[in-house]
Amino acid sequence: MKLKHQPLEMMTTKEKERIHASSCFVLDQAGLRVKNARIIDALVACGAIYENGRISVPQSMVENALESVPGTIRFRAPDPDRSFTVDAAGKDVFLGTGGQALYVLRSNRGVWTRQPAGCRDLEEIVSLCQRLSKVDFITRPMECDVALDRMDEEKARIFASNTTKPMNLANLIDPGKLSKVIEIVGDPAYLSFIVCLVTSPLAVDDTAADKLLAISGQGIPVCISSCSQAGTTAPLSEVGEMIQLNAEVLFGIVLVQAVNPGAPVLYRGIPITADLLSDGSPRWCQPESIRRVALAAEMCRYYGVPCCGTAGVSDEPVPSVQAVSEKAVSLTYQVAAGAQYINSAFGMLDRIMSVAPEQYVIDNMIAALVESELGKAQAFDERGVADAAVAAAKEAMVRLGVEVDELMDRELRSRVAFVNTRKEEYSKESMDSQQTFICSAVESPSSSLVFMKGARKGLRAGWLYIGKRIEAPLDISGLESKQELA
Amino acid sequence: MNQESSLDRIRHSIVMGHVDENDEGFDGTMEGEPGTVDLVREALDVDVNPQEILNIFNESMEEVGKLFESGKYLLPDMLASAECVGNAMDILEPHLVGKQENQKGKFLIATVKGDLHDIGKNIVSTILKGAGYQVKDLGIDVSVNDIVAAVKEFKPDFLGLSALLTTTMTEMEAVIKKLKEAGINDVKVLIGGAPTSEEFALKIGADGYCRDALHAVAKLEQMQDALSGR
Repeated sequence: MKLKHQPLEMMTTKEKERIHASSCFVLDQAGLRVKNARIIDALVACGAIYENGRISVPQSMVENALESVPGTIRFRAPDPDRSFTVDAAGKDVFLGTGGQALYVLRSNRGVWTRQPAGCRDLEEIVSLCQRLSKVDFITRPMECDVALDRMDEEKARIFASNTTKPMNLANLIDPGKLSKVIEIVGDPAYLSFIVCLVTSPLAVDDTAADKLLAISGQGIPVCISSCSQAGTTAPLSEVGEMIQLNAEVLFGIVLVQAVNPGAPVLYRGIPITADLLSDGSPRWCQPESIRRVALAAEMCRYYGVPCCGTAGVSDEPVPSVQAVSEKAVSLTYQVAAGAQYINSAFGMLDRIMSVAPEQYVIDNMIAALVESELGKAQAFDERGVADAAVAAAKEAMVRLGVEVDELMDRELRSRVAFVNTRKEEYSKESMDSQQTFICSAVESPSSSLVFMKGARKGLRAGWLYIGKRIEAPLDISGLESKQELA
Repeated sequence: MNQESSLDRIRHSIVMGHVDENDEGFDGTMEGEPGTVDLVREALDVDVNPQEILNIFNESMEEVGKLFESGKYLLPDMLASAECVGNAMDILEPHLVGKQENQKGKFLIATVKGDLHDIGKNIVSTILKGAGYQVKDLGIDVSVNDIVAAVKEFKPDFLGLSALLTTTMTEMEAVIKKLKEAGINDVKVLIGGAPTSEEFALKIGADGYCRDALHAVAKLEQMQDALSGR
């Protein structure tokens, strides 16, 4: 899809500059915990300082890395007509699936059962995504039921046999298998990967680092991912989480550009919140998370780095009207915020734990509605995007047999109002306070407890959205593209 | 200051989740005031009966549990209170006579090899400490051999294994196998973490699956009841 207007901006340029400066402060002062000698040597050779198990990265290294990141990335496909180019300065948006569910939901007369996902399910889902019109690329949606040492090759075989779209294999298990994977799919240009390099807060996953360098060394595009959870692995404060998450993704960019200058990377920041209202689980699709993920996309655009967005990971355990509403609002904001290559989590439910074939078809419809409603917006300002999100959600619900009433409309309006509302100051004082908090938290052996205790004030101030579930029976019998499931 | 007043202040500090003077407490008003740890030290200095202090810990946590169940307290509030008790217990313990009889059991916990995630582990560890268990936390990314060695040394009643990644949850099975190979059959193994489940626990031979920290507390109590024939 193509954006009609300039992307949504919820921060001023000055505020983004402040976030950047604070992230650089954190990278320089707190640094990242790392053990991998190859990484330490590579970064120290470029000016980083390694002391007491942490590597500090000066701001000059960040600026140099950002300058060498390519602004465009070509994603090729076995079917040349499916190839596309992501342009960090452009308005083209490409949607794909999300990855790594453990279970498949199967429906029997309206009752959903959860089954462990396997290779056959993966074949079925990849094949289904090949047929869905709004899926531009396929990110491996689930695990295979094969031994870990066969996983990379098995995934590659399933992709090569079932799709002609660009292939994002998500995680690489064994960097030593990369050449075999390339041989199976036929061309490295068809491939891309996601690497979660940093575990929040600010700790490098040493095995992920080896994978990242192996992939980028081949010139294969890689999405450098960090998924912080405010309140447990990052400050609950939006400002604090943005500073920390941005630092974590920037570190990945610095590392890749230090070792393989000019290698294609995408900025993949997923700053969500933890459910401190109950058990601390991630809140993927709640209004405050939708807002923060949109802010991450905005930060990425500020840098002019290609952006891998995330949307539509519903917190609902099975397909439901609530899930439809979450996905529609989430995708609308992520598209409007200007992410160009979006893991729009087609089919995903249950906080990335499950997928349902029917949900893929529903999400394909939602994507079409989001495109249509954003196309009608007069501008991508907060009001225009909010209206598009509500309209897309309501139309999706109507097509699924829901009579949308005033209460549902009010709840949707309440959610988008929350997404649009800033709860904190983006002042220099606020940034200073948060960067200090992050630096002290990472020194603690139990940083998650530090973040949780530090969240009490924000919880009382209402930083986590508390709304109402949208309840109604879900009828997918009339879904236009239901035949895709056959 | 008399004993009653001293104990009341400790109770208030625990219920407010005021760990130390740098902590803001439940309502954000307590920064700069002496925390639970300081109050326990003060109480011991003026010869307040350690057993009475221990009783206050238990009573306070019961009150916090009720506030959590009623929805007035949220997870961070309860954790802060549990941390108060856990930290204060380290100070109180050397002063208790016949201290073992108040301990509910020994709990060893670790995030398995290859996994750097510690949220669930830390919550469980803190809550169990607050609930009166003697907890040893081995940290994150802990190898099978290190876990088994720690079991031999610490001799826990329970072993908690945590994993957040689908690629690391398999390490849990390796730990259980290694324990059996080493002839260690008297430790109950509990697992937890987003990708794990009751079914997975059964499959790998764990004694139980805990979906969260409170579930872990309930599960341990169930197991202890079963062991003691209650």
